[in-house]
Amino acid sequence: MTLPLIDPRRFEALQANAGADFVLTLIEAFAEEAPGLVTQLRRASADDDAHAFESAAHTLKSNGVAFGAVRFAEMARALEWQGLTSDTSAIDAVAATLSATLAALRAMAHT
Amino acid sequence: MSPSPQTLVFGAVELRLDERRLLVDGQAVGLGSRGFDLLKALVAKRDRVVSKDELLDEVWPGLVVEENNLQVQISGLRRVLGAGAIATVAGLGYRFTLAPESGDKSAARTPQPAVAIEALVPAAGATSASSARVLVADDNKVNRLLLCRSLELMGHRVSSAENGRQALDMLRQHRYGLLLLDIAMPEMDGFELLRLRAGDAALREVAVIVTSAIGGVDPVARCIELGADDFLHKPVDPVLLRARVESSLARKQDRDRQAEALRRLLPQGKLQAQHRVGVTVLVARVSPPDLSAVTPLEALQLATSWSTLMLDALAGCGGELVQFQGDGLMALFDDTGVAVQAARGMTEMTSLLNAERRHLGQPVCVVGVGLARGDVVVGVVDLAQRSASACIGSPALRAEHLSLASARDGQAMLVDALACAALPAGCCEGACHESSDLLAYRVR
Repeated sequence: MTLPLIDPRRFEALQANAGADFVLTLIEAFAEEAPGLVTQLRRASADDDAHAFESAAHTLKSNGVAFGAVRFAEMARALEWQGLTSDTSAIDAVAATLSATLAALRAMAHT
Repeated sequence: MSPSPQTLVFGAVELRLDERRLLVDGQAVGLGSRGFDLLKALVAKRDRVVSKDELLDEVWPGLVVEENNLQVQISGLRRVLGAGAIATVAGLGYRFTLAPESGDKSAARTPQPAVAIEALVPAAGATSASSARVLVADDNKVNRLLLCRSLELMGHRVSSAENGRQALDMLRQHRYGLLLLDIAMPEMDGFELLRLRAGDAALREVAVIVTSAIGGVDPVARCIELGADDFLHKPVDPVLLRARVESSLARKQDRDRQAEALRRLLPQGKLQAQHRVGVTVLVARVSPPDLSAVTPLEALQLATSWSTLMLDALAGCGGELVQFQGDGLMALFDDTGVAVQAARGMTEMTSLLNAERRHLGQPVCVVGVGLARGDVVVGVVDLAQRSASACIGSPALRAEHLSLASARDGQAMLVDALACAALPAGCCEGACHESSDLLAYRVR
């Protein structure tokens, strides 16, 4: 079963706890940092640097969970658990899901 | 002409913020820059008690400063503004008490003991952890922002660091009540910071909650073994965060209270017995002139006000407090001249206090100060039931005796023959026998 992109209850809980305006700031911080972390995944994969790979996957997972971005978080979690891989397709999939996730988060934040 | 918004008037006291000038009764008073900054901070926050940490941060930003420096500055301001202008609130900090200028000039000039001391002291068990200074150390911006936001919404003052090294520097420069610490960080990770904290007494005073997405029991156990107070898994649940933060701060507050209580009982810590050769013992004691004229509470308030001023005066001269009894104290000085200077400061402070009490229609206090020179042994008498500082030797007894004679005879201070001999020629006069073997001298 495919996980939803965003768990609306978690996202709404975040808005309730931190404030809707602040969540917008938070999404932009995520949008600013996450592409660099995906780049770190690719570089770590190329350099055979397991620690850097797991660290980037760990941070992406953590951020995904914070927003209720369950599909993205699960993909990042799988990368973290699997560890360093030379198969870049999983990283490509994370990158693609990141774009969709950010778009969904921005849309939800503005509704 | 009404004063500009940059000028604040409290009766006879006029504070010109833009000019960084203080006027009392229209006369400019020279304050050092730290003294001015301190006054400015106290005035700006006069609606509440300002903690010592907060004042230290405002007046000496970015510097690690001993509390003595703050006490010296407070003492200096009291000399200028009047003893009651700044109230000490035991265990909490200081509060500026003068009332701002009103339409009624005469009323505004009346010193305002606006806040009774007992009203400023929190009831036992009351928590003031509601606004703590918290540091968030997390390399991930989203996590960092979210934690900071959650803590700010709880009413805390929050700073953040992007790695363990930066967090360590900030912990050493400022005083925080709580650290929220991520584990996986660049430059220095959370484990390393915890290891360094474990070996540093000052850092151990900061409560630590580890926030991490690292799975498994082992990292949690490792953090606890390294001294962390608690562990929160990311993403951090806001309800759990609030509960853990409040719990950690409450525990820290309990620890601080215990340490403070111990510090008050044994200001110098549990010292090994020391033989102190050629020191000057200063004894000062206060009492109302007539106990039947005051209620027990008023007598204690008098002793509290007096003791506050005396400890400040003592700290300003570098005296070493060896005994404190609430209505009296004993301090040691290596230099008799400095002891006399401290005694003069105490006398001056007492005069200020009495002037204010007279103004308020309250009974004044009677103070006696005695100084004696010689050898003593200081240390802690440690029983199973309780501990107490002791100062053993004939100079201590002579100083006690002279302080009583000083109060009885209305002398500012009396010194013994050895202390007199240690002062420049001509300083002392009027030797008289207090007892068969004790000559008392007045100091000019």
